[in-house]
Amino acid sequence: MDLLNELESLVPELERGSGQAFSLAELEELRVAFLGRKGRLAHIMSHLPGLEPEQRPAVGQKANEIKARLTAIVDARRQELEAAKEAAALARFDASLPGRAPWAGSLHPTTLVQEEICAIFGRLGYDVATGPEVENDYYNFEALNMPPEHPARDMQDTLYITEKVLMRTHTSPMQVRTMLSRKPPLAVVVPGKVYRRDSDLTHTPMFHQVEGLMVGEKVSFAHLRGTLTAFLRAVFGADTQVRFRPSFFPFTEPSAEVDISCCMCGGHGHVNGEPCRVCKTTGWVEILGCGMIDPAVFDSVGYDPKSISGFAFGLGVERIAMLKYGIGDLRMFFENDVRFLSQFV
Amino acid sequence: MLLSLQWLREFVPYEGSAEALGDRLTMLGLELEEIVHPYDAIRDIVVGHVVECTPHPDSDHMHVCKVDAGQGALLDIVCGAPNVAQGQKVPVALVGTTMPGGLVIKKAKLRGMPSFGMICSERELGLTEDHSGIMVLPADAPVGARLVDVLELDREVLDISITPNRADCLSVLGLARETALAFHLPFSIPEVPLVESGSDASRAMSLEIVDPELCWLYSGRIIENIKVGPSPMKIRHRLHAVGLRPISNIVDVTNYILMECGQPLHSFDMDRLDGRIIVAPATEGETFVTLDEQERVLKAADLTIRDGRGPVALAGVMGGLHSSITDASTSVFLESAIFRPATIRRTSRRLGLSSDASYRFERGVDQRRSLWALDRAAAMIAASSGGTVRAGVCKAEPRPYVAPVIPFRPARANAVLGVELDGEFARGTLEALGCGVEAEGGEWRVTAPSWRYDLSREADLIEEVGRVHGLDTIPPVLPLLERNLDDASAPETSFSFWMRVKRWGKGLGLNEAVNYSFVGHRDLDHLNLPREGRISIMNPLSSEQDALRTALAPGLLQNLRTNLAQGATGLRLFELAHVFEADAASDTTARETSMLGLLMYGDRYDCAWQAQGDAGYADVKGVVEHLMAFLHLGGMTCTLAEEHPYLLPCVQVEVQGRPVGVMGRVRPDMADAFHARKEVWMAELNLDDLFAMHQKAAIHFQSLPVFPPVRRDITVMAPASLRAGDMVACVEGMKLPLLEDISLIDIFEPEHAEERNLTFRLTFRHAERTLKDAEVDKLREKIAAALVKTLGVRI
Repeated sequence: MDLLNELESLVPELERGSGQAFSLAELEELRVAFLGRKGRLAHIMSHLPGLEPEQRPAVGQKANEIKARLTAIVDARRQELEAAKEAAALARFDASLPGRAPWAGSLHPTTLVQEEICAIFGRLGYDVATGPEVENDYYNFEALNMPPEHPARDMQDTLYITEKVLMRTHTSPMQVRTMLSRKPPLAVVVPGKVYRRDSDLTHTPMFHQVEGLMVGEKVSFAHLRGTLTAFLRAVFGADTQVRFRPSFFPFTEPSAEVDISCCMCGGHGHVNGEPCRVCKTTGWVEILGCGMIDPAVFDSVGYDPKSISGFAFGLGVERIAMLKYGIGDLRMFFENDVRFLSQFV
Repeated sequence: MLLSLQWLREFVPYEGSAEALGDRLTMLGLELEEIVHPYDAIRDIVVGHVVECTPHPDSDHMHVCKVDAGQGALLDIVCGAPNVAQGQKVPVALVGTTMPGGLVIKKAKLRGMPSFGMICSERELGLTEDHSGIMVLPADAPVGARLVDVLELDREVLDISITPNRADCLSVLGLARETALAFHLPFSIPEVPLVESGSDASRAMSLEIVDPELCWLYSGRIIENIKVGPSPMKIRHRLHAVGLRPISNIVDVTNYILMECGQPLHSFDMDRLDGRIIVAPATEGETFVTLDEQERVLKAADLTIRDGRGPVALAGVMGGLHSSITDASTSVFLESAIFRPATIRRTSRRLGLSSDASYRFERGVDQRRSLWALDRAAAMIAASSGGTVRAGVCKAEPRPYVAPVIPFRPARANAVLGVELDGEFARGTLEALGCGVEAEGGEWRVTAPSWRYDLSREADLIEEVGRVHGLDTIPPVLPLLERNLDDASAPETSFSFWMRVKRWGKGLGLNEAVNYSFVGHRDLDHLNLPREGRISIMNPLSSEQDALRTALAPGLLQNLRTNLAQGATGLRLFELAHVFEADAASDTTARETSMLGLLMYGDRYDCAWQAQGDAGYADVKGVVEHLMAFLHLGGMTCTLAEEHPYLLPCVQVEVQGRPVGVMGRVRPDMADAFHARKEVWMAELNLDDLFAMHQKAAIHFQSLPVFPPVRRDITVMAPASLRAGDMVACVEGMKLPLLEDISLIDIFEPEHAEERNLTFRLTFRHAERTLKDAEVDKLREKIAAALVKTLGVRI
């Protein structure tokens, strides 16, 4: 029964050997040495034909058992070594290496604000229209109740192309174009670029406005208040206070300027005891102009001012963007420094 | 408009604070800009009594004074002014006081004599420019009292911005009316008694108005025996407080009345006129020197005041130098008139000459108060200059004021405002504003007051009722919108399309830029862009902004320069904007085209730590192809354009056989000007055309193939001048039904070699069975043979 003993002795030998195998390659060598076609197990079994036939089944059974045990030893060690290898690789993995980032795209802040405004009014049922930036004096001024020599023309320094053609100074000419091309009732917002002959710290010669108008049979100032209050709270938060101050625009009457409670100081006028630089301690920030469409404008588009009424408003997109995102310098909007642009992803 | 609170209180007994007044006026449509305190810097100056005044022992001009400034003990003060004298009441800056210039008064020794304070001149106090000596106060000024109180200085001034419709509020009088209305206070005007003497003024001055449409009222008075000098202290200090420079006791009064009543006046030196006043348009081309010593060339549209020899004033804008009041003047012809606003505005604008007078005339001056203001000013001039007012007024009023009668429906007011105001409120408000109201039935008859040129229609009155009620107290109501059934199937708006394209660009990793629509002609010239069709700005802010852009490249390249200066190593910008070209057929004379501009430069990835290569043609073309796929537009072709102003190479992009734009590399010499060190690749695409095509494009689903494809690669050795597209076209031209696709997958292009290797991948597929290797190999051979035969390449 030497063969049985020899078989049995393979187990402790392989156990010892595998304990000293420190790589998968060494382990493989060991496996081949014990379990390979020319390995120790095969070698022992080559003596099987020399045994008595009645002894062979016992030895064969034993050999199968030993083979299973040897395989198990190798597998166990392999798992250990693989786990160790993985652990070593993990230990080398540097999670702090930088990524290979695709460029982060961004939308210009004026785009974001125009989109938001148009989306809010879209939800309220308004259409969005756009119009030409080079405009006739007629649509920009005359049809809006600003005949030549009207002092209100001073309120907007104009860039002219010819005596009668100019860069639109506001989006309001689209009030006229819209009303001429459609019949009431209508509700439209008009985003777009506008131009003034003005350039300093707080003015750029081009900026963006959104004009809005609603015209119908029973549109009142109360509706204007409701619409703008809802709009401003949607943009600046539900607890925003809204104030309507009488003002003057030639194409609306009554006209109002709308203030919101200052989003920097919350309307208190001071931040941590320091005077608020956004509202200059007044607690209010001027945000837009509005009013009931002047009957003279209805006259120029052929609506009957006796039966039709409507409101209009115009707001400055950059101003809202500055308040909303806390941008301090207007000129940054048009420098297109990527360090600025890429913040608006 | 600068409004002194103290001045206001002469007309209305308002006792509240400047802040409360400002808040209330703001909510009435008269917006408070700020409250200024013009004399705050001298609030610590006190009245002192010069008890003793002895010459300084070591100086030939200084004096050592003992001054009682209410401090208990007498103060030693050394004073260098020539006019200091014992017994005077003087303004004293005590030790520790900060002067208007920032100087802090300290204990000092002047030539050995100790000095505990300073006796001040008017200039040192910031009151006037007078520095000829110390300021001497009235003898009854109480010792130790604050100077600002003793002089009754206007210490609180409200800066109120007046909208163009409220000309009536460009005066203390007008704002006093609003204050009275706001706080329910009585309003009264302190009278200035006028004493007339001598023969009637109209005998000394003839008056003729040539065109009554241009001058509605002209009146004048003569004040004789005047002595020109400084105005009384109160007038000087008050003008100073509201930002006007005191000049003389004659001119100061005209300015005082202008600020107080809103009526601009002009004072002529009577002796410089030839006894006639003619209000007439200028003779075209005649010259005239205005008060500011500028020679003006006049046009026939300018209105002048003339005598028999020529112009003596530009009506309503500015007087003439020759006839102005000087120290030697002894009699004044004082003018108060009403001119046609548009005429004054045109002249003032044309000459770039805006004065306090023209500003008010342009907006409308109360005609019914014009003569009253003349009398008030004449009386004040007489009082301040020792003169006498001649009896009578030279006057012509070819167009007397007629108050408009305005229909007013209270129900309409409620409908427009969206509130239920009772009739009594509307009536009370209109009457408080100075309107006459005949409130009968549903349509009232309202007469506007003469000072309210802005009230002529019902809407104007509705505004007034709303304004006084408070626009801020009207309840907010969200209106219901009526919509049309057709609205649901309206086509996409261009705004929505723009937004989708912008979101596409953002998603692709591009940064959206927004540039000015105007650039310099120079910038367009630099890029070789044609001069023809450009639109110029007539009155540009600068030569850098004198033309409308005809391409987006100038702005985007400028942005490249900006970002390179900040150390950027890669840039991927896009912009959606209009470009402009002259077009006689357009109703605005301009054709505006929506363009998409792309600029790609440098780094492919937003990081620097691994080699990644720079943006090239493939990158910009890939983005353009991506856009076409996004817009469902197939069939994009690219051909080399013959010539382009600033791109080389320039590739013409066509979609469905229609040119939609270009892409290419900015010519290196031009890119150089923007400090580019690497290739600058751009694309400019016509978004209007793409939008039109996109609206017609639709997604057509194709069922998925059931059987697997078989792929074969083929490498072609071709002359370097042969285009990949030609090889693709050659293969596609064979119209092999089983060839599903051919694409270029690799290119090997040794430098200086005349040949290059292109590897194409051929994809074959049969719709109804699996292809056999043998038949695919046969097809590949067929293709190879065709390429060799048609294009002369090697395989």
